[in-house]
Amino acid sequence: MEHAKNTAPKNRIRVGSPAVDVIIIIVTLLICAVTLYPMYYVFIMSVSEPHAVIAKDIFLLPKGFQLESYKMLFANKDMWTAYKNTLIYVVSTTVLMLITCSVGAYPLTVDGLPGRKWVVRFLLVPMYFSGGMIPTFLLMNRIGLYDNRLAIILPACVSIWYMILVHTFFRSIPNSLRESAFLDGATHLQVLTKIFIPLSKPIMAVIAIYTIVGVWNSWFNAQIYLPSRELHPLQLYLQRVLIQKSVDLSTLNSTEIEEAMERMFSSVQLQYSIIIFTTLPVIFTYPFFQKYFIKGIMIGSLKG
Amino acid sequence: MRKTKRPQADVPRVPPKEAVKLYLIMLPVLIYIFIFSYIPLYGVVIAFQDYTPGSPFLFDPSIKWVGLKHFTQFMSSMYFWRLIKNTLVLSLYNLIFVFWAPIIFALLVNEIRPRRYKKVVQTISYLPHFISSVVVAGMVLSFVNADGIINQLRGMIGLSAVAYNNDPNAFPWIYTLTNMWKGFGFGSILYLSAISAVDNELYEAANLDGATRWQKMWHITLPSIKPTIAIQLIFAVGGLLSANSEMILLLYNPAIYETSDVVGTYLYRESLLGGKFSSGTAIGLFTSAINFILVFAANTVSKKIADFSLW
Repeated sequence: MEHAKNTAPKNRIRVGSPAVDVIIIIVTLLICAVTLYPMYYVFIMSVSEPHAVIAKDIFLLPKGFQLESYKMLFANKDMWTAYKNTLIYVVSTTVLMLITCSVGAYPLTVDGLPGRKWVVRFLLVPMYFSGGMIPTFLLMNRIGLYDNRLAIILPACVSIWYMILVHTFFRSIPNSLRESAFLDGATHLQVLTKIFIPLSKPIMAVIAIYTIVGVWNSWFNAQIYLPSRELHPLQLYLQRVLIQKSVDLSTLNSTEIEEAMERMFSSVQLQYSIIIFTTLPVIFTYPFFQKYFIKGIMIGSLKG
Repeated sequence: MRKTKRPQADVPRVPPKEAVKLYLIMLPVLIYIFIFSYIPLYGVVIAFQDYTPGSPFLFDPSIKWVGLKHFTQFMSSMYFWRLIKNTLVLSLYNLIFVFWAPIIFALLVNEIRPRRYKKVVQTISYLPHFISSVVVAGMVLSFVNADGIINQLRGMIGLSAVAYNNDPNAFPWIYTLTNMWKGFGFGSILYLSAISAVDNELYEAANLDGATRWQKMWHITLPSIKPTIAIQLIFAVGGLLSANSEMILLLYNPAIYETSDVVGTYLYRESLLGGKFSSGTAIGLFTSAINFILVFAANTVSKKIADFSLW
């Protein structure tokens, strides 16, 4: 099979014409350019001279080079608070997600568990039906999660779908491992933490990456549940800066009048630098973790 | 969990003492799901009540039952048809343009010969998926406003500036292109993985028969991803009444509600922010019911036409 795969392109070359290949490469290059350009444009705007940014006559190359707007950005306490909040939300949600997936999936892998059928039904119903935005909102209020960090963490830290993925993976672990551990006097909890979880690193990595990116990019729950600004995650802070334009970045530190003009120029540019600065972690890491996403999609479509 | 095909008959039942221990392990998750999934599910009853903000949620004996009042009120409200029209228009744009982009892109990528280059193209195409909606919307808005790059380019060819962000007619296009840009690459993964499962012997046999590249794509590659397309299409039809309201909330403004206000955004604005909880729950229930019927209908049609169905 591998061999056939390797010889196939040769056959195809004999049949296809090189002109088509050139056209395909040109078309895909154009697509890549269109995909990258918006980000690139934001980047060159963020490092150009403020006056050129205001005039907006920058298209392909930055005009001048300065990092003033980044310096101003780094002095912005609100942004750092938001950054810190996002880290708190990402780390705790991901850790909880891995725990809940494991403890939720493990008991169902034990053959002959009484009532298993009912538990599975109990888990399947919420996958098809949900109460919707308002009943969830009222519940969250009722249990005191409004304006509480847990309003971001708790609703995102259990996923029945991920539990199913972990369950499927657990099933592929030979039962003999578990039985020999029992002979050594291990408990179920020990089998789970000492054998099953360490052996499930591939699926745990997939789930962790999905959760991290999901929480990092989410803003809507924070918008609904967190009126206090000091609890806002990065994306909600960005929403205030970029969409509502309710944060005037230029009045951050200095009140000196001679600087006011410069500041005004910079505030437009700051929007570009904040996009770059908050998106950089994602841009630089996604080529490395994209394989986990592809894996997740494959597993998902197999289970279909 | 549905697909476990283990023989159940010859497996000895777990003794009760051990079963209790196993259930204790998963108890936190079961309680969690009961609270966060089942209670809101039961909370849907307030769609048929007159719930006032501040009264105890769910177990209030003094609550008034009002039947379908909130449903009929929503359907006879002056915004109802506008919301339905906007939602359907945006979904149709989505179905016509956004839906096919990853399929065409996957077919194109599949034809790229240099392997390294193919990898690079794929990686680049995934980038927009990882950029948050807030940042994407922020960029788009800064591009389309009166002094954004699009109007700079218009100015260069002598056209006057148009504030597209406040132009109701431009909104469906802005929304559609944004979604397309964000999703075409990542969406193609699904189709490329289906294509990679095609038996290479099929292509070799086609080569022996002197098939052209186009013929191979049309008669081998495309049929191989047909089931995947069908599944995605059924889901897309099922989502006709649920446009991507998170993205719309970021992109729209009151000046363009005329074309951009959809059921989801209206629900958020009027019901959640406005505190009309019963009516909001009714609207949510109404949408899910219609979406459910649509999936069912799409599945039936697909069964008849393409001999393919979800269940």
